[in-house]
Amino acid sequence: MTRPIVWMFAALLLIAAGLGFYAYHLKTKVASEEQRLAQQSQAIVPPASGPTALVTLYVASDQDGGLRRSQINVALPQERSERARAILRALLGAYMQPGSQHPIGAGSDVRDVFLMGGDTAVIDTNAAFADAHPSGVLAEELTIASMVTTLNASDPSITRVKILVDGKERDTLAGHADLRRFYQASGIGQVLKDSQ
Amino acid sequence: MRWLRLRAAPFSATLLAIALLSGTARLLRHSTVQAQTPPATQLSVYSPQTFYTVPLLNLNGQPYVGLAELLEPLGGVEARPDGKKYKLKFTPSGAHEMEFQFQDGKDNGKVKGDKVKLPSIFAIQDGRGYVPLSSVSELLSRALSTQIRLSPSARRLFVGNVGERLTLDLRKGTPSKLFVSFDSPVNPTIATEPGHIRFTFRREPVMSPVDHESYADPLITGANFSEHDGIAELDITGTSPLMANFADGGKTIIVTGAPPPPPPTPVAQAPPPETTVPPATAQPPKAPSGPRFLVLIDPAHGGTEVGSAISPTLPEKDVVLTLARKVQRELQSRGIAAGLMRNADIAITLDQRAISANAARPALYVALHAANSGRGVHIFTSLLPAEMVSSRDFLPWETAQSPYLDLSGIVAGSVSSELEARKLPNATLAAPLRPMNNIATPAIAVEIASPTGNVDDIASPAYLDSVAQSIAAGIAAVRGKIPEVRP
Repeated sequence: MTRPIVWMFAALLLIAAGLGFYAYHLKTKVASEEQRLAQQSQAIVPPASGPTALVTLYVASDQDGGLRRSQINVALPQERSERARAILRALLGAYMQPGSQHPIGAGSDVRDVFLMGGDTAVIDTNAAFADAHPSGVLAEELTIASMVTTLNASDPSITRVKILVDGKERDTLAGHADLRRFYQASGIGQVLKDSQ
Repeated sequence: MRWLRLRAAPFSATLLAIALLSGTARLLRHSTVQAQTPPATQLSVYSPQTFYTVPLLNLNGQPYVGLAELLEPLGGVEARPDGKKYKLKFTPSGAHEMEFQFQDGKDNGKVKGDKVKLPSIFAIQDGRGYVPLSSVSELLSRALSTQIRLSPSARRLFVGNVGERLTLDLRKGTPSKLFVSFDSPVNPTIATEPGHIRFTFRREPVMSPVDHESYADPLITGANFSEHDGIAELDITGTSPLMANFADGGKTIIVTGAPPPPPPTPVAQAPPPETTVPPATAQPPKAPSGPRFLVLIDPAHGGTEVGSAISPTLPEKDVVLTLARKVQRELQSRGIAAGLMRNADIAITLDQRAISANAARPALYVALHAANSGRGVHIFTSLLPAEMVSSRDFLPWETAQSPYLDLSGIVAGSVSSELEARKLPNATLAAPLRPMNNIATPAIAVEIASPTGNVDDIASPAYLDSVAQSIAAGIAAVRGKIPEVRP
């Protein structure tokens, strides 16, 4: 092998090693950026507008397989559907806290709550809520039960609830719980009754 | 000469550069993306206790089979991959525990402490251990101490003394009849076309001593037996359309000429015998029509739909399939007929599950799930209001379960009692679970979580055995309260 070839080979080897290092650097940078974004989206802050009020949340526990009643101060807007949204965001925020008894996916959020006919609420969640939700019959049922029961507790006239994902109907939450149907607050309360 | 060397140097360097960059790119890609090889096909396994299929994987240019998937229906299995090492504990029914030891990339290992050499290397993919298909016969015969017959090209494996030998007997006459006889009843799919009638045996371990028979007969001219893709086929050829009649309780198929189509006439004719299969259609023979008690077990998820991740290497779909097979065995040992919605790693949509379940007309439907959170066993009935609708009426698809909620609750309560008797933590709940709402028969779903809070314990054979026994005993206890169903 002549000297120029050796030099050329060495130079290419250096370039290849450099490219490899750069690719690894990019990969770790993307991973840390994703982690930072996920942490940012975990912090769901209820709307600042409106007076603060004590609201009742029905918080799920995977270990107990039931719902626990707890109270929290939330800034509540005047408008009824915005108020419902603020309460549900507070509930999802509790599930995304470290050490939650019923963890759900980072970035889960309620995009909107639509109230129809006085007794019906349609909750529009974001894609992360369903895509990153833990899969399991009980885990999914507890999430739905806690949302429906919390909504009904804050506004007893809401007795029927349907959940959308990104504005669309979806078959199941994470492979198990039916999202095509309307939930009756009295029916889903069976989870509460039977497991407490 | 100097000029030539200078010209040659950049050319060689360019080649080297391409090789280096391509090699670097391959290395980088390999470090981030795991190569996925599409499944080759499947292996049909016939054993005295059960029939099942196992997916085959194409590795190193040859078919491989998952060791745990192969052994699971034949006994208790506990597989523990540990880096490149793979250990599997196997307890065949009524025998002692034994251990398989292999290492990723090596072609030697141990079975029951004895050294074995595989025809090709052992492979670990996604935490599952794979052995070459050609080694299965030796591994199983060592493990089960019984005769194993493998037909690698046909993808069929016979465990023990299992096998249905068919015999052919042509009785000449007008018309001639070919008697195809078996040791026990068979239920093949039948397809006809002009000059052919073809029987496809998917579940039966049908074998033939000869591949081809020729007959000097004006109607039936030959019979060809073939095995491929995990099935056996018998093709009878003739000079005119053929039809099949079942006799001797399904142990004999009589092939003869199909009658000519009736001339158009207003005179009423007697219906043909029930067991006659008309030509020019593909349909299975009619099943016995008496009411029966069949439990349909539905292991949730499958294929690309893995369900919940119990651990990084253990998806829900695998845990529930193992549990389903155990429940099936437990039910059968109590004299209850039990079928599986899936007996392999295949994807079935929720609507397909409901349609198949309703078409199978079981007396009871049991869906099985596993979760990586919570503790113990949860038994679910459908979260629907009980409606005063007769189960004989047409039922709305979304609420087809409503008329059966009371019976479903009885089964759930009985299973819960059996779990309680075995000191397994459990709760009974109503759940908005698909496809249970669409099932038009008593239905429960059972979701298992770790008994201790440690998710690794969920797949322990002792725990799964205990849950399977509870489910089967719970069903057996209320069998008299659940109506049998006419298929």
